[in-house]
Amino acid sequence: MGSAVLFGLVTGRGEQVFAGMLEGAQGAVEGVLRLMGSFGIFCGLMNILSASGCVEWLNGKLKKLLKMLLGNVKEEALTYVTGNLSANMLGLGNAATPLGLKAAKLLAEGERATDALCMFLVINTSSVQLFPSTVVALRAAMGAAEPGAVVLPGLASTALSTLCGVLLCKLMEKRT
Amino acid sequence: MILCCFVLLCLAVGAWKRVPVYDRFAEGAKDGLRTAVQILPGLMVMLSCIRAMEASGLMAAFCSFMQPVTERMGIPSALVPFMLLRPLSGSGALAMLKQLMETHGPDSRISLLAGVMMGSSETVFYTVSVYLAAAGVKKTRHILPCALLSCLAGYAGAFWFCP
Repeated sequence: MGSAVLFGLVTGRGEQVFAGMLEGAQGAVEGVLRLMGSFGIFCGLMNILSASGCVEWLNGKLKKLLKMLLGNVKEEALTYVTGNLSANMLGLGNAATPLGLKAAKLLAEGERATDALCMFLVINTSSVQLFPSTVVALRAAMGAAEPGAVVLPGLASTALSTLCGVLLCKLMEKRT
Repeated sequence: MILCCFVLLCLAVGAWKRVPVYDRFAEGAKDGLRTAVQILPGLMVMLSCIRAMEASGLMAAFCSFMQPVTERMGIPSALVPFMLLRPLSGSGALAMLKQLMETHGPDSRISLLAGVMMGSSETVFYTVSVYLAAAGVKKTRHILPCALLSCLAGYAGAFWFCP
């Protein structure tokens, strides 16, 4: 922000810079108001899914795959990793973070990151979200003709990014 | 179309598992409203920052500085700031996504690309630092290079898979 103000002063656009800041802040308030409606709908729907036991169902599917990727880790750590990733897949960020922190603690041994911890974090940060509810809610709020148009390309590219992350991680874990 | 299918799927799963659909919907909606209020301060700061950068001409200067490189790779220069911001700040990226939709229209290719990128990557630096701090790990080894490269793969995927 400071650099923008300085740049604006140097180029003689000081007035517009402040007007822009004000406009941005007001835009955020209006945007959040509009976002609230569509956010409410999507979080409501997601909550129906999680109350129906979708997290547990995903847990069962994921556990074997993760056991292969993470190698030999404690059963308890594996449970938290699985819980974190399935909550992330459904976009339940609030539920995912505490599970993930616990998983990271259980996977760590000393100050040097273990192979399993590296793999877990790379999978986690490559985003495994199945339904990008925030983006869809924002698109709906902004009046897009097809707010769901990001779902399928998003699914394909998030699969690609996770796959690349896992492969790279496997390749590099022996060299670092 | 996709969204209607999604709504139907949620309701069907809920009914099949005999979940009190109304109550759970309302409960989730409450969470959603709370989240919307929680992101407001961050969104406000980032959006006023972005607007200030646009009004001062800094954004345009940066985009035209990057243009020779990005154009050769087929990346619209308006997307570059968004791509750089995404791994650093979630609310910043969300603010920028909203801004892109306002200037280019929510149905433009730029908005679609940014939306896909938003959904297929994470706030890498923030997440990694929070998790490693909790675990007390200092030697991060190959985590950051791998995470950032996979984020790039997600960006490439967005260009690939967007019609």
